Amino acid sequence: MDAYLGDYLPIAIFMAIAISLSLAFILSAFVVGSQKPDIEKLTAYECGFDAFDDSRKPFDVRFYLVAILFIIFDLEIAFLFPWAVALGDIGLFGFWSMMVFLGILTIGFIYEWKKGALEWE
Amino acid sequence: MEFSSLTFLAALPEFILIFFALVLVLVAAFARHSDGHIKTVRTISLVGYATGFAALFLLPQGATEIFNGMFRIDGLTVYMKGLVLLGGFFACWLVGDGWGEGIDRAEFHLLVLMAILGMLLMISANDLISLYMALELQSLPLYVVAAMRTGSLKSSEAGLKYFLLGALSSGMLLYGASMIYGFSGSTGFSEIAASLTTGDISIGMTVGMVFLLSGLAFKISAAPFHMWTPDVYEGAPTPVTALFAIVPKVASITLILSVTYNALGEMAVQWQQILIALSVISMIVGATGAIMQQNIKRMLAYSSIAHMGYALAGLASGSMQGSTSVIIYMTTYVFMGAGSFAVIMTMRRDGLPVERISDLSGLSSTHPIQAAGMMVIMFSMAGIPPLAGFFAKWYVFLAAVDAGLVPLAIIGLLTSVIGAFYYLRIIRLMYFQEANAPLDKGGERQNRLVLFASLAVILLFFFFIGPVHDHASSISGALASFS
Amino acid sequence: MFYHAIVFLPLLGAIIAGIASLSQQHNIAILASIAGVCLSLLLSCFAFVEIALGGQALTVEVARWIGSGDFQAHWTLRFDTLTAVMLIVVTGVSSCVHIYSVGYMSHDKARGRFMAYLSLFTFAMLMLVTADNLVQLFFGWEGVGVASYLLIGFWYHKESAHTAAMKAFVVNRVGDFGFALGIISIFALMGSVQFSDIFANAATYQSHVITVFGLSMPALELVSILLFIGAMGKSAQLGLHTWLPDAMEGPTPVSALIHAATMVTAGVFLVCRMSPVIEYAPLALDIITIVGALTAIFAATVGMTQFDIKRVIAYSTCSQLGYMFFAAGVSAYPAAMFHLTTHAFFKALLFLGAGSVIHALSDEQDLRNMGGIWRKVPVTYTMMWIGSLALAGFPFFAGFYSKDMILEAAYAAHSGPGILAFWLGCAAALLTAFYSWRLLILAFHGTPRASAEVMSHVHESPNVMTLPLVPLALGAIFSGWLGYEVFVGHDMAAFWGDAIFILPGHDALANAHHVPVWVKVLPIILAASGVILAVIAYIVMPSLPARIALLFAPIYQLFFNKWYFDELYDRIFVAPSVAFGQILWQRGDKGVIDYYGPDGLSGFVKRSSGMLTKLQSGYVYHYAFAMMIGVVVLLSWYFSGFGR
Repeated sequence: MDAYLGDYLPIAIFMAIAISLSLAFILSAFVVGSQKPDIEKLTAYECGFDAFDDSRKPFDVRFYLVAILFIIFDLEIAFLFPWAVALGDIGLFGFWSMMVFLGILTIGFIYEWKKGALEWE
Repeated sequence: MEFSSLTFLAALPEFILIFFALVLVLVAAFARHSDGHIKTVRTISLVGYATGFAALFLLPQGATEIFNGMFRIDGLTVYMKGLVLLGGFFACWLVGDGWGEGIDRAEFHLLVLMAILGMLLMISANDLISLYMALELQSLPLYVVAAMRTGSLKSSEAGLKYFLLGALSSGMLLYGASMIYGFSGSTGFSEIAASLTTGDISIGMTVGMVFLLSGLAFKISAAPFHMWTPDVYEGAPTPVTALFAIVPKVASITLILSVTYNALGEMAVQWQQILIALSVISMIVGATGAIMQQNIKRMLAYSSIAHMGYALAGLASGSMQGSTSVIIYMTTYVFMGAGSFAVIMTMRRDGLPVERISDLSGLSSTHPIQAAGMMVIMFSMAGIPPLAGFFAKWYVFLAAVDAGLVPLAIIGLLTSVIGAFYYLRIIRLMYFQEANAPLDKGGERQNRLVLFASLAVILLFFFFIGPVHDHASSISGALASFS
Repeated sequence: MFYHAIVFLPLLGAIIAGIASLSQQHNIAILASIAGVCLSLLLSCFAFVEIALGGQALTVEVARWIGSGDFQAHWTLRFDTLTAVMLIVVTGVSSCVHIYSVGYMSHDKARGRFMAYLSLFTFAMLMLVTADNLVQLFFGWEGVGVASYLLIGFWYHKESAHTAAMKAFVVNRVGDFGFALGIISIFALMGSVQFSDIFANAATYQSHVITVFGLSMPALELVSILLFIGAMGKSAQLGLHTWLPDAMEGPTPVSALIHAATMVTAGVFLVCRMSPVIEYAPLALDIITIVGALTAIFAATVGMTQFDIKRVIAYSTCSQLGYMFFAAGVSAYPAAMFHLTTHAFFKALLFLGAGSVIHALSDEQDLRNMGGIWRKVPVTYTMMWIGSLALAGFPFFAGFYSKDMILEAAYAAHSGPGILAFWLGCAAALLTAFYSWRLLILAFHGTPRASAEVMSHVHESPNVMTLPLVPLALGAIFSGWLGYEVFVGHDMAAFWGDAIFILPGHDALANAHHVPVWVKVLPIILAASGVILAVIAYIVMPSLPARIALLFAPIYQLFFNKWYFDELYDRIFVAPSVAFGQILWQRGDKGVIDYYGPDGLSGFVKRSSGMLTKLQSGYVYHYAFAMMIGVVVLLSWYFSGFGR
């Protein structure tokens, strides 16, 4: 059991190093860098002109929708790559499996299209 | 792995439900919003459940594991799937017209269908990964349907609460699953069971088990993980509450059954304590909490908490008798739930649904059939012989006593007495109280049919208790602890 | 089938009538109940000819009733001469009363229910007399008790009626308790409750001794006394008689059927039925004789002073039952049964006649408010005369044969209790004649004392009420003359067969035919003088009774207040019981059981429910917190090592 958990030691070391490194970077910026705040520096950067209003206002739900849809199709690509690489090994079964997956995805795509999720206005 | 016909066949009901779900997606995409189309959608999903139910009879006999052992069917899972599909059928059928925005959309039935599919997969789950996947497939659509009435603040609140707490419980469950995986080295139930046979049981496994069972306890709303139940039952649209009350608990209880008896059979001493604790608290909270309620959905929420307490009492006994009693209990539970909601969903005043307990007063004069049916169901829930509810409780307590858990059985009896109080209160209201403002006459046909079906089971259970018990006993022999 | 029908036809009638009365179908109810009882009467006549006169006793099985270990009780109907006599009496009087009730109850809104009760009573009574074992007899015994309760309290909206019903039930409980103990001890002794077994084995148990609380007494004595206690309750013997006068709160037909002719004689029937056992218990026989004789004289003294017409007859019934018991006590069972039969006719006649008077006077029952109506109600008047003549035992009327037979038997017994019974019986005979004529004179003669309005309404009863009186009157005149030879005369042995057992040596009845002439004549002379006294007191010198009452005030008060039995019982039994019940109720039940039991628990549940409801705050973070607490508690349970 312990030997088995021991297999995870490299991961633990990796995570420890990653966390300490990133903490070191962030903290060093605070420690080393010179900080002289003034009004201009503290206002939100708004591409060359003054901010119209508070930047922390709710924005259009359609951003979320697009983001979610993006993730779904992004994941599809993530599946497709290993599938394409291993297609020779997994044979006809593997091929049809992916076809079914894509078919279901397509039906979902049809739904979101018909429901107007892809239209901004 | 070859895609053999056997593979396909063992998961036939699930495939059928997937097919109908895809059909519903397309219907929802193309159909215009109108009264006619919602009827079509309902018919399609009803046909889906019916076909899935029929497919259960085509499944191979005996225990079969497919998808690399992640999916298992045996007599027990087939029986429970039958209950779930039947419950789904009832819940869907009860959704008539006039439940307002959200419910009258094709997506409602689509999501319910998805949730039922998730429940079927939960029942067959034989691996921590398929367990989690199935559980989420069940939960996510239920979060959405709870909040389905977008115009209603209560409905949104219910959906949000359910989602947030559900996420918390999923987190616990995942944490527990990862602990168990970490200490046993596998996610498959049979491998976990095998790893437990050697050596002592480590504290890590115990911790994992506590978290895993806590996560599952949330799904069956066992106290102290029950707090969401009354609020969600009350806030959600009534058809959704009916669904919640009838079906998901069957799947979740089966899942607990297979986790405890299949995967963690060697840790019976440990999980028995958890289940006893959950059972006792649930029975007490369910019985006492219901007394003060004014809303009938809220009251039934507490009632379902108490019912889960009794089912857990059967589970906690850890014997074959215990699992048998749980199977019988869930069988009666489905029909009592369906029957009671068939009555509640008939209650309208000026076309609008009413849900206060006091609105039931004088029901015997306006709806004599429904009142009589409700009376029978309430008596059954209170455990009055010779109704179905009595036998369910009887077997549970019998199993508990035989397993040496006499205090548990005594607490169960005491809480049933307290429970009888609020069940009888409803009967008193219906029969001995003048109606304050009369309810609408009549009611939808399907409500009556569902009521009659449940009543038939509740009243005639007495005659079939022998065969039902034998069957339940033989299918619980499929559990790993007894083979 | 034929024999089953006798018993079950009234039940069928009762069921139909009961159902019909639910929907106010009174005519159907009346028809069904009358048809059931009359058919039963018809069949009973055939049965009487076949069994009693033909001498063919038999039993017919209905069903296996109770089987528990050694305890076997079959539901079997036993028909022998004793049963056959009772069949005739019960169905005969019951038929007359059923028909009479149609008229008497015609204004009552619940007359269908009334008829159903009457038929139910008839069924229960038939069950009682046809019983083949003690348990079945007990069933009928309690059945008539229930029917009696229902009928006494028929006008349940009347406070006095339901109090009387309750009193009848409770007092009977005392007797029934004795009866039940008797049955139990017989079973303990002989291992059977079947009559045939008991009778066959009684002789062999003569020398058995039972020890109760350190007191040992012969087993059969104990059994007999216990059974007699049961009989005392049902037959209103001294000590347990208090319910009978109060039972007059029921409608008059009920009084005629239940509290004169049939149910109250069940005790006599029981004693005769159990004669094969009681014969071996000389002490019990003496007790029966003495209690019967005391009842006869006691009830007669009280009856003399009462003013309620029905109560006078009720005390008369009580007194006549006393005669029957002391007849049984001197082993003259046939004489007891003979008197039972004749008494049934004339006493039912008197009651129904009294009912007719009450009906005529617009429900007036007080003798002081009657009088001077004999011309207006000739039929009733005649009937009351016949009844009174028979009751007082004037020659050639029914009572003459039976009552004289009893007195002669008592004299011929040549035992202490027998002689006591004879003299007390003679005294009672005098009083009987006196109060009978007192009643007749006060009710029918003299100046009318009712209000003018009532008097203007006085009318003879309709035919449906007077016609049933005719067969009863015929019975009151002829039954004694007809029955003398077969019941107690030369054909006695052939007639009774095995139904009654008299131990050789107990030959009071045989000797009764050879007593001195003065013994035979004395009762007639006493009866005649009783009548003359009554005429003197109430017609010749109407002021005399009041003066006598004043002169002997203490004795008069004693008689008028029924020897203070009710007051005594109230003081000794009722008041302490009520007080004890109060304590148990206030302190025990309310103070302890309720307070900590139902009330306390429900209060606790309500409080905890309220607390639980408060926990349900609606905030998600509270809920999540509860879940986390749950997990933490479970985990700490395991970590602290409890979970192993």
